[in-house]
Amino acid sequence: MQATPRRPVAPRVMRGMLLFCFSALFVLYVAGPVAWLVSSSLQSEAEITAVPPNWLPPSPSLSNFEAIFTAGERQVTYETRRQGDAATGGFLPSGASNLLPSLWNSLTVGIWVAVLNLLLSVTAAYAIAVINFRGRRATLYTVLATRVVPDIALVVPLFLVIRNLGLINSVGALVVTYLAITVPFTIFILISYFEGIPRDLYRAARIDGCGHWGALRHVYLPLSLPALVAALTFAFLTSWNEFVFALVLTQNVEAQTLPIVISGFIMDFTTSFSFVNAAGVIAIIPPVLMAVVFQRYIVSGLTAGAVKG
Amino acid sequence: MLAALHRRFGYDERSAALLVFPVVAVLLVVAAFPILYSFWVSLHDIVLTRPLRRPFVGFDNYLRVFDDQRFWVAVARTTIYTVVTVAVTTLLAMLVALLLNENFPGNRLLQALLLVPWATPSVVNGLMWKWIYDPTYGLLNALLLKLGLIEKYRVWLGDPDLTLLLIANAAIWKQMPLAALLIIVTMKAIPDDLYRAAKVDGAGVFQRFLHVTLPALRPGLMLVLVYETMISIRHFDLFLIMTQGGPGDASFTLSWLIYVETFRSLRFGTGAAMSYILAITTFVLSWAVIRFLGRRI
Repeated sequence: MQATPRRPVAPRVMRGMLLFCFSALFVLYVAGPVAWLVSSSLQSEAEITAVPPNWLPPSPSLSNFEAIFTAGERQVTYETRRQGDAATGGFLPSGASNLLPSLWNSLTVGIWVAVLNLLLSVTAAYAIAVINFRGRRATLYTVLATRVVPDIALVVPLFLVIRNLGLINSVGALVVTYLAITVPFTIFILISYFEGIPRDLYRAARIDGCGHWGALRHVYLPLSLPALVAALTFAFLTSWNEFVFALVLTQNVEAQTLPIVISGFIMDFTTSFSFVNAAGVIAIIPPVLMAVVFQRYIVSGLTAGAVKG
Repeated sequence: MLAALHRRFGYDERSAALLVFPVVAVLLVVAAFPILYSFWVSLHDIVLTRPLRRPFVGFDNYLRVFDDQRFWVAVARTTIYTVVTVAVTTLLAMLVALLLNENFPGNRLLQALLLVPWATPSVVNGLMWKWIYDPTYGLLNALLLKLGLIEKYRVWLGDPDLTLLLIANAAIWKQMPLAALLIIVTMKAIPDDLYRAAKVDGAGVFQRFLHVTLPALRPGLMLVLVYETMISIRHFDLFLIMTQGGPGDASFTLSWLIYVETFRSLRFGTGAAMSYILAITTFVLSWAVIRFLGRRI
């Protein structure tokens, strides 16, 4: 009798300890690498080239970030660039002044892609999910099939198409290209979301005199807010991350996006690591903020179709 | 004439056509046309160093690819890389899903953290791991030395036996979150009754996992496997940033081969043929996974 109240306690303590251990491992795995990137970005070149490395910045400073934001004003020539001692972090890459414009390009492209992607996908997804028209399945499969071919295979033909349209090295070319990547996936997500909305609501709207446009506006859009936010976030992140197409379709500051400029720094072996790490941190901040803020919507939106398989 | 059209296609069909038209137009220009065009390219002997002569060669490019030693090396590398990435991603995602499916304080915070790798751009992901693997200043050497697992610093990405696995590790870190989310959502949909019934029948934790959780996870797992395979098999960014196919040909994967063939050797014809081989393989693999898992588990 006296032993019974105790029995549940031991497993509960065990469970708590196990959960704690696994949580700690999880945090270490997921956040550790990023934490080290951030820590490196707050150290001077001399500090990050210490052996063994400093786990935490000995004297945290924002000088690398300052260098990025003032790079446009600084004249980086062969002479001025050699003046700094390598160990003090004077080595700004010659392309450093491209960083801010490319950040701006990334934002512009991302916002355009997010908005246009939603406008295009919502109407198509509604038609495919709700209206029973001839060629419905064919449309769906064609849309999805465009994602089977690897991006690297599309780069050359797409380059030729864009060049013939006279859009090489323009933000517009990137927007159109990224739509080809985001639209099929968004349509897929939205269809599974729309199909989960009770058909009776649609019928009621039609009986009340709504056309398809009205049903979409008054029934489907208001009810699928999570999926819409998820689609916006997803499209922005895809465009923010994209690398291969931007590499081929852009040539200079006018249209190059952040990943391209950063990859240029990585290949340039004279670049100081502290500077590149800071650039990396800047590239991580917007998407991570967005993901965390819209967490709820992303999880429910992106995974709407998962349960059905 | 308009009236005839109206009679033939009802309101539904006319609206559908109007609603679908913009997407179809965009996809025709930026997806369908390039796809067909690259197939046309793959049937011609197009080399950019010889721009004026581009004869039709039928499927010769494909035969040439199959004769190419590098192609088979790339197939082997891609296979190892994809199998490791998909297997470890799925396994880790399953563990993370089991953890986050439990109710405990801090759970929501961990779920927010989970989105950090997912949102990290692949270029930054490559930069971050390259910096961690750095032979002199990197974290990995320092950590392993401190733990006593290595005796002196090593050039991690310079070791042909490890390169693929180290790149896979970077890819897994970024891909695991989405896989975990998909599995969590599937887990949440499992009715509690099943667990209660299993408990009544005297099933332990592991038995419940094996006989209740795992079978119910089938649709989620299938989606994860197909999706992860499709993206891992065509990974490119990490290879460009971290190793450029090296050292030697240790990380010479298919997408890297396509890049080299197209943009360094400027042989567009064979490059396009390789792309088609990769695309068809991806398609067949996804289909096979769906069929196999759809029946087995």
